[in-house]
Amino acid sequence: MVILKFGVLVSFGLSLIILAIQVLHTQSFGRRRLFSKAAGNAWKGVAYAFGQGMLPREKESAAKHLPTYSAGIIYHTGIFVAILAALALATDVKLPEVALPFFHVLMAGGFFTGAGLLLKRVVKPQMRYISCPDDFAANILVDIFLLAGFLALWHAALLPAFFTAAIILFLYMPMGKIRHCFFFFYSRLLFGSYFGRRGVLPRRRLARI
Amino acid sequence: MSPSVTPADPVEEKIRTLTEKDIKKVLAVFREKLDAAAAASLYSCVHCGLCADSCHYHLATGEPEAMPAAKLDLVNRVFKKYHTLIGKNLPQLGGAKTLTREMIRDWVDSLFGRCTLCGRCSLSCTMGINIFSLIRTSRSALAAVGLVPPGLQSTVDTAIRSGNNMGISRENWIETVAWLEEELQNELAAPGLRLPVDRKGARILYTINPREAMFFPLSISAAGKIFFAAAEDWTFSSASFDVTNYGLYNGDDEAAGIMSARLLQAAEELGCRELVLAECGHGFSSNRWEAPEWLSRKQSLRVRSILEVVAEYIQDGRVRLDSSRNSKLHTLHDPCNLVRLGGIIEEQRYILKHAVRNLVEMRPNRGINYCCGGGGGQLAMTNFAKRRLEAGKVKADQIRATGAEVVATPCHNCIDQLMELKKLHKLAVEIRTVCEIAADALIIEAKT
Repeated sequence: MVILKFGVLVSFGLSLIILAIQVLHTQSFGRRRLFSKAAGNAWKGVAYAFGQGMLPREKESAAKHLPTYSAGIIYHTGIFVAILAALALATDVKLPEVALPFFHVLMAGGFFTGAGLLLKRVVKPQMRYISCPDDFAANILVDIFLLAGFLALWHAALLPAFFTAAIILFLYMPMGKIRHCFFFFYSRLLFGSYFGRRGVLPRRRLARI
Repeated sequence: MSPSVTPADPVEEKIRTLTEKDIKKVLAVFREKLDAAAAASLYSCVHCGLCADSCHYHLATGEPEAMPAAKLDLVNRVFKKYHTLIGKNLPQLGGAKTLTREMIRDWVDSLFGRCTLCGRCSLSCTMGINIFSLIRTSRSALAAVGLVPPGLQSTVDTAIRSGNNMGISRENWIETVAWLEEELQNELAAPGLRLPVDRKGARILYTINPREAMFFPLSISAAGKIFFAAAEDWTFSSASFDVTNYGLYNGDDEAAGIMSARLLQAAEELGCRELVLAECGHGFSSNRWEAPEWLSRKQSLRVRSILEVVAEYIQDGRVRLDSSRNSKLHTLHDPCNLVRLGGIIEEQRYILKHAVRNLVEMRPNRGINYCCGGGGGQLAMTNFAKRRLEAGKVKADQIRATGAEVVATPCHNCIDQLMELKKLHKLAVEIRTVCEIAADALIIEAKT
C-alpha cells in the first residue's frame, strides 16, 4: 500500500513535470511580436474566454448540444474530485465526512457521463471519423479511475485498485489528449487574447453611440 | 471521400511529381510558420466534435471530412508525427501520420477546398482553437511548393504583376474615374464634385475592390457621393488602388506583404494621413490586421474601413440620411473577415439604421453569422465551385427566413457569392453594399 501511495504521488508529480515541459516545448516554436494596433482589449477577451464565453448562451456548440455540454461539465467535475480524493488518500489526508456523499455523487456522475461520451464516440459515425485510439484509451482510463474511486470510497479494500488506476492515468496524461487539462487554459487564453485584441469579444457597442 | 482534385488538375499533376525535396520543403515551411500559439493549439484538440455544426460545409453536406475537427486533424497528424515525442515513437496512439503525397492531396482537397477561413468554428470550439489560422498556416506550406489551386494562384500573380487583381491598367483606371466623376457631376448637378486621383496631401487615400471598376461602378460612385456630402479631403491613387489581397488566402505571406506595402507606400507618397478601405472583408482583415505582421512593422498611418468613416460622418452630423428613400425590407449579411475576424460589427448596423426604414437581422448574426461560402479564395478556385455553391445553401436559407427584399453586405466577395446563390436558390432579393444603400439615402445640399 505504501508503495502504491508513493506511486500515486510520484506519477502525479512526473505527469505535471512532463506537461510543463510540453508547454515549454510550444515556446520553442517562438512567440510572435504583434505589430498591428489593437482595437480592443486582449485581457477583457481573456476574461470573457474563461467566464461568460463558456456559457451556452454565448457558445453555439454548447447551446446546440446541451446534453453533451452538461455531460462534459459533470465528467470533468467528477475527474477533478477523484484526483483530489486520490491525492488526499495517498497522503493520508482524511476526507471530511460531510464531503464524502458529494464525492460519491460527483464521481458516480463522472463515471456515467464519461461512459455516455464514450458510447457517443463509438456509436456516432461522425465521431468515429475524427477519433483515434487515444480518444478511446483516454476515456476508458478515466472511466476506470472514476469507478475505482467511487468504489474505494465505499470499501477501503478497493483502495489498491483506485491507486493503481490513478498511477496508470497519471502516467498516461501527458501522452495523449488528457494533456488538455493543461492546454485548455493555454488555448482559451490565446483565444480570448486574439478576439479581445481585435475588438470582437466581448461584444461591444460603438464607442460614441 | 471523393476528392475534387481530378487527375486533369495541374495541382494533381504537381502532387504526382513531388520529390522528397519538395515534401521536405512543405514540412520546413510548415515548421517555420508555426509559432508557440499554433503549437499550443495543435496540442489542444480533444476531438469532441462540437465544432461540426459551426461549419457551413458540414451543415450543408453532412460530410465528415467537412467537420472542422477533421480538417484540423489533417494538420495535427503531421504536427504530431514531426514535432511530438509520442507522435514520433508511437504514432498509432494519436493518429500521427507521415506527410506523403496522399496526405498532401488530402490537405489540398480539404484545406483549400472545404474551408473559407471564416473562423466560425473557433468561436464554437470548446478549447478555443483558432482552426482557421492553422489551416492558413498549412496553406502557406502548400504554397511554398506551388500547390495552390490555379484560379487562386493566378489572382495573386495578376495582382503582383499588374498592381491589382483584375489587371486593370493605370490608363483604364484613370479613365473610369473620370467617367464616373462626370456622371456624378451630372446626377447631382454639382460641377464642383471631384473624384480626385493622386491629390497630394489629401487626408484620406481611398481604395477599392477592382471588381468595382469593372462590374460595380455604382459602389465607387456611392463612396464618391458620401465623401462629397461630407466635404472630405480624399483621393484615389493611380498606382495602387486595390484593397484586395488574395495572399491572405493562398498563404503566401511574401506576396501578401508586397500587396499591402504598395497601398501603404501610395498613401505615404501622397502624404495621406489615413488609408480607408472599401467594403471588402478580406481586404480589411489583410490591410488592417495582417499587413503589419506580414511586414513586421507598425503602420505609419491610420487604417480604417469605410464603414467606420461613414458611421463617424453620421455621428458627427457631417452627412444626413433620409431612410424613407430605402423603404424595402433590408437584411444584413456579416462578412466573416470584417466582422468575426475584423471587429467591425456595429458600424454597418448604425449606418443602415439611419439609411433604411426596415432592417431585419439574420439569425444568427454578427460574430456568429454564417459564412456566405465565397471567402477563403473559394470564388477564385473554380475546381471547388460545386462545393462552394452547395455550402452556400445555409446562407440562402438564412436570407429566405428573413423575408427581406434587399441584402446589404459590405464585401464584394460576398456579393459575388450571394449573386450566385440568389440565382441558384431563386431568392427574390437585391444585393447591395452598405455604402450604395447609404448613398441613396443621402441628403445632399446644393454645392458647386
